[in-house]
Amino acid sequence: MSVTPLVELRGIVKKFPNVVANDHVDFSLMPGEVHALLGENAAGKTTLMNILYGLYHPDEGEIYVKGKKVKIRSPADSIKLGIGMVHQSFRLIPVHTVWENVVLGLKEAGFILNKKKLAETVKKVCEEYGWNIDPNAKVWQLSVGEKQQVELLKLLIRNVDILILDEPTSVLTPQETKNLFKALRIMAEKGKGIILITHKLEEVFEVGDRVTVMRKGKVVATKPTNEVTAEELANLMIGRPVLFKLEKPEVKKGNVVLEAIGLKAMGDRGVLALDDVNLRVHSGEILGIAGVAGNGQEELVEVLAGMRKAHGGRVFIDGEDVTNKGVKYLIEKGVVYIPPESTRWALVREMRLVENVALKLYRSKDFSSTFTINWRKLFEFSKKLIEEYDIAAHSPSILASALSGGNLQKVVLARELSTTRDGKVPKLILAAYPTKGLDVAATEFVQSLLLKYRSLGSAIIFLSEDLEEIMMLSDRVVVMSRGRIAGEFLPTEKTIEEVGMMMVKGSAA
Amino acid sequence: MSIEWIEPVLASTTSIGVVYLLGSLGEIYAERSGILNLGLEGIMAIGAAISFIITIAWGHALAFLVAGIFGILMGLLLAFFAVSLRLNQITVGLAITMLGLGLSGFITFPTTRKIILQTLNPELPGAVLETQSVSMLPSVPIPLLKEIPIVGPMFFNHNVVVYITLILAPLMWFLLFRTSAGLKIRSVGENPGMADALGINVFRIRYLTCILSGMFSALAGAYFMLGFQPFWIEGMTGGRGFITLSLIILSTWSPLRAIFGSLLFGGIEVLQYRLQLFGLGATSPQFVLMLPYAIAVITLSLLSVESFRKRISAPAALAKPYYREE
Amino acid sequence: MFKLERRVYPSRKTSGLVIFLSFLLAFFVTGLIFYFLGVNVVQFYLIIGNVFITPVLFLQAVFRSIPIILSSLGLVVAFRMGFWNIGAEGQIYLGMVAATGIVILHVFYDAIPISLMLIAMGVASFLAGGAWCLIAASLKAKLGVNEVLTTLMLNYIAILFVDYLVYGPWRDPEGWGFALSIPFPDYATLTFGGHPSVAGITISVAVAALVYVLFKYTKLGFVLSVLGKSSEVAKYAGMSVGRATLLGSLISGGIAGLGGFYVVSGMIGRLRPRASPGYGYTAIIVAMLAQLNPWLILPAGIFFGGLLTAGDALQSLLRLPASTITVFQSVIFLCIVLAEFFMRYKVVLKR
Repeated sequence: MSVTPLVELRGIVKKFPNVVANDHVDFSLMPGEVHALLGENAAGKTTLMNILYGLYHPDEGEIYVKGKKVKIRSPADSIKLGIGMVHQSFRLIPVHTVWENVVLGLKEAGFILNKKKLAETVKKVCEEYGWNIDPNAKVWQLSVGEKQQVELLKLLIRNVDILILDEPTSVLTPQETKNLFKALRIMAEKGKGIILITHKLEEVFEVGDRVTVMRKGKVVATKPTNEVTAEELANLMIGRPVLFKLEKPEVKKGNVVLEAIGLKAMGDRGVLALDDVNLRVHSGEILGIAGVAGNGQEELVEVLAGMRKAHGGRVFIDGEDVTNKGVKYLIEKGVVYIPPESTRWALVREMRLVENVALKLYRSKDFSSTFTINWRKLFEFSKKLIEEYDIAAHSPSILASALSGGNLQKVVLARELSTTRDGKVPKLILAAYPTKGLDVAATEFVQSLLLKYRSLGSAIIFLSEDLEEIMMLSDRVVVMSRGRIAGEFLPTEKTIEEVGMMMVKGSAA
Repeated sequence: MSIEWIEPVLASTTSIGVVYLLGSLGEIYAERSGILNLGLEGIMAIGAAISFIITIAWGHALAFLVAGIFGILMGLLLAFFAVSLRLNQITVGLAITMLGLGLSGFITFPTTRKIILQTLNPELPGAVLETQSVSMLPSVPIPLLKEIPIVGPMFFNHNVVVYITLILAPLMWFLLFRTSAGLKIRSVGENPGMADALGINVFRIRYLTCILSGMFSALAGAYFMLGFQPFWIEGMTGGRGFITLSLIILSTWSPLRAIFGSLLFGGIEVLQYRLQLFGLGATSPQFVLMLPYAIAVITLSLLSVESFRKRISAPAALAKPYYREE
Repeated sequence: MFKLERRVYPSRKTSGLVIFLSFLLAFFVTGLIFYFLGVNVVQFYLIIGNVFITPVLFLQAVFRSIPIILSSLGLVVAFRMGFWNIGAEGQIYLGMVAATGIVILHVFYDAIPISLMLIAMGVASFLAGGAWCLIAASLKAKLGVNEVLTTLMLNYIAILFVDYLVYGPWRDPEGWGFALSIPFPDYATLTFGGHPSVAGITISVAVAALVYVLFKYTKLGFVLSVLGKSSEVAKYAGMSVGRATLLGSLISGGIAGLGGFYVVSGMIGRLRPRASPGYGYTAIIVAMLAQLNPWLILPAGIFFGGLLTAGDALQSLLRLPASTITVFQSVIFLCIVLAEFFMRYKVVLKR
């Protein structure tokens, strides 16, 4: 007896400028199973699911839903087919009540909305899954876990039988996670199929029936969870190193530049994102921070750059307490910050290149007097940077938007590394994913720059999604998990596999 | 003081309040769906001007009809710019206000008005062509109810438009807050992307609310002309469109609360006339007239305070064009 | 089939061309509207054109354009920093109040020496207009209150405040009961250079130059431009966003306030109710037409001053109301708004 799969994806290809996000991907979902989709960030999981959800359209490949070949043009289409997705950022209206959020657009609700009846219907579904939400409560009054339940309610009330959950546990407390998994099992028992996008190994084993591992846009394995071990999965997920040689000169470690003690900070969603983080970085040292995305790394560098308030703990630079002193003060202290997605958050695309170079430098005495900016000097300086960093721009007066991503990244680096007081070397460089999305040549260029400043005596914190890169470049590595430091070691002390385990398990292997 | 003094004041309070209430009904829908129509003032002006001309040519009933049609056209203009072309609603709205004020002045100017009137109704006697005033809508007192002290003169001794508006307000509240259509409108104004994902046609809903907003604004202008001040003065709306916007803020986007707000604003205006009449505050009626605008600024500020913002606030997507994400 | 293609960012040349074409479109559309309303369109445009080639009328056009130009220059500052100041009208009125206040202080209390009168009036009107704008700006900076509605509402409060003054405490005791302030003494009128137009255009050019310098050379101007494009990047670069918002809006409202100073001191010679026929709103059109370029504000402003002047001729020659000009203005406004669309998208022919 063969069961028709709820969903079958065959040979899905999706290309974006510069990357192939999905490269001939096959995937299937059976009724009654929880299918974990495992992979690092940018492995192509979310892209694949957005295709199934109708947000993206595949360049190649076929989609079968319950045995029928379909074309999904929009999320509205996918709902009609019984496919629903819970996104990482909730799509709810906080000022509306729970039941209003749930029945929006639902034909069965009728024209005149019978508040009592609808609330009761919602309540009934809640009870099936052991949830305890007041249907008449406003969504803004709910906890994060409850909001997620409302998202699920929206789908369940529409009799969706294919549920996609995009990293649903990243915002939940352990207790809430447990409740969610319980509910997922009930759904599976009712014959629904659940796709769980995740990068946490323990979740795969906790609720998953089958697991598909993706890496760099390709499916590397699909297996029942009782036939694999955590070690195997970690290896599949992180992958074998494609090592290329990097000249890494010996540098003598200097004094402590940065010291963070007991650092705490809230994330954007109001949950604790940093919990008691202690760090030390010396001059002439690269500290690599490894971790699965969303485990507090970004918040950490934001706090160190002054962009985010620390709610507890202290930050010292050269022994001076600089906790919550603000961006400007830290820039003056010699802190350089290359933010994630820097071409978006550290540049103004509608402005000329020279103006982008001036973003921080305009305050420097070299380029300005009390009130005015010396644009001629900045122009000359930009020219020098264009040459030095080999930026493909014929003049500093072109708009930043005219440059490619790689060149924009070079502009950010050029500016940041030269944004120092009186031509001194930066004291602390916070580089968050500086090589992300760059081609091989540009990546090597960025890496060699970091090494150069290491030799010159800067203290460097380096974030990357590429574990090999971290192991290769860093003098010391710290692994972050759930806002805490899960381990600290020298790159020679551990294998990539061990670190990978530490990242996904959240504790020393 | 005897009650005879109070009753006419309350009656005029309702009369003037209905201008704001009528104008706010459509605009509340528009703002709830994410459209800020700053063209309200101009559309009101053109509604008043057209009703003035059409009443002379064809009478009261058609005056409202034609004013309503012109309001719909102005609403469509707004929708095309703001919804289809996704242009800045603030500038589009101000331009429409300017257009409405200009056109209303233009068509009512003695020479142009004469030509228009002769085209519309060649049989009009010459003297009528030059008139600045029109007949007011007749009062239709409701028997028995009008005898009730205070409430009677306040609500049951008015023209038909007043009654219709007072009935329409709760109906439109019900439509907005108790039906699936209303839920769709409100959701589009809070999170159009989400509504779209659930298969709700954001563009259609916003076109509809633009049309409603245009129509009700023009009708409010027509009522102001025919129900409250039946003679034409250029610029007669004098900021009442913007007071209506203020009323909507005060009533926090609810047609039901708008009833009370409109009576408050109506009361303020009547009070100001009365104060002058009695010589009280004769030197500074302006401060009373400032109240609606000041109330708007204060309400807006209060709504922005964290603890309030969670509960009631302007629709999240207000004045934001919607692009489908790709 | 025509298809719309998104432009990355329009070049300055493209935006200039699109704006110019939309401006021409406005002439066409206005012509069409008035043709249907039975106006002799050729004569209509001839009368308008005549304003710009007849010296006397042109001087008049310049005269009437000064408050528009000044408040528009103020808007350049606000719009460039991403602050939607719709309140130039109110800021003009506050400028009038302050200038008149100085005159009254002088005449009745002899508080200010004659030689300092004009300077004192200028400074006072700048501060008053700026303060009026600061109300909305600080509400935005502190509470995040949308500035569009607050500046708009503050306009009416300002207009009513002027009404209060001239009907009340500031009414000229010898004015036969009219709602007018005392007439300004000669030394309090802006007539240097022989004609108020000359005085006005001198001030306008000077302010345009200052706004130009502000954005071209100063640190503050740079911070404001970055803020206008992306407040996130501004924060990232360590710029003090709140302080810049307040300072920028003070300047923006202040310049509009100078426009009010010119209205009472250069045009009317006293304060009266409703002294501005909407200069502050016309200024929005001018600022957009000039693409926020301070030098282009001058010709664009004079064009609209010319329209106001032509309005008089239209009344006497074609028996058309003043609102004819308002209609024309609004059509230009709509067309410039439309231009924004063609800057974002280009229409391409596709098979």
